[in-house]
Amino acid sequence: MADPLISTAVAGHEFGPYDVTIPAERADAYAKAVGGDESPDYGNHLAPMMVIAAALTELIGDLGLFTGGLQTVHAGQEVSWERAIEIGEKVEASGRLVASSVRRGNHFATIAVSYTDAAGTEIGTSSTTIIVTGELPR
Amino acid sequence: MSRGISDRVVGDALSGFERLVTQDRVNAYAEASGDHNPIHLDEAYASTSQFGTRIAHGMLSLALVAEMLAIEFPNTWHSGGKIKVRFTAPIFPGETVTTYGEITSIDVIGDETGGIRIATCTVGCKKPDGTDAVTGRATVPLE
Repeated sequence: MADPLISTAVAGHEFGPYDVTIPAERADAYAKAVGGDESPDYGNHLAPMMVIAAALTELIGDLGLFTGGLQTVHAGQEVSWERAIEIGEKVEASGRLVASSVRRGNHFATIAVSYTDAAGTEIGTSSTTIIVTGELPR
Repeated sequence: MSRGISDRVVGDALSGFERLVTQDRVNAYAEASGDHNPIHLDEAYASTSQFGTRIAHGMLSLALVAEMLAIEFPNTWHSGGKIKVRFTAPIFPGETVTTYGEITSIDVIGDETGGIRIATCTVGCKKPDGTDAVTGRATVPLE
């Protein structure tokens, strides 16, 4: 089995772009999962974390986390938004590995993601830091 | 009497809430987010992890903190809000967590006549034993 990308990618590696357009049924499922009846009414807008979560799911898949005995901890997260996002609005997420280092057998990686609308305008950013254990020494 | 968000001052506490994080909620979050990683869903797999059992998604706990901010700042959190957190402890299914926050500073960005007031808040989410599962800082425009 090939090494997962998290074990081979170097800083600067680019991910995506991923289509993280969230349709109404998925937005509804997300709101119910997080808060159910207690969640606020977002109207025709998304809870921004929904888009971040969708992009993170794509990154996790591409990085090969949780494969081949790897264990991953989500250590930190940054998010910023320029404006609200409407349900069903086309959004793309493009990621870049901005830091990758191994300390005491733990692999620390940070991936920055930019979110753009249909016009190509950046409407948000995020940064995810993960710690991966269980990698074979290289 | 509650104040409007533009009347907020340093020291104001945010209206946190308690929420029970059940395995059903974790399963539903996995379906909605697409994150089906076994450490959240598969007890046999999770029992071999450093945590020894299934844990909730970190992004689910962050979503709770974000929900608190959306309730507290309904008109501005989604337009210009920022948050930076660390996940400091796992949340196990069956735990009731409590979100919290406090305004620690208010700064004017721009000039005094046309500037925007930005609140900086400490935010987080505590486990039943009082330890932080999520801790960090958020900034939100006040108008």
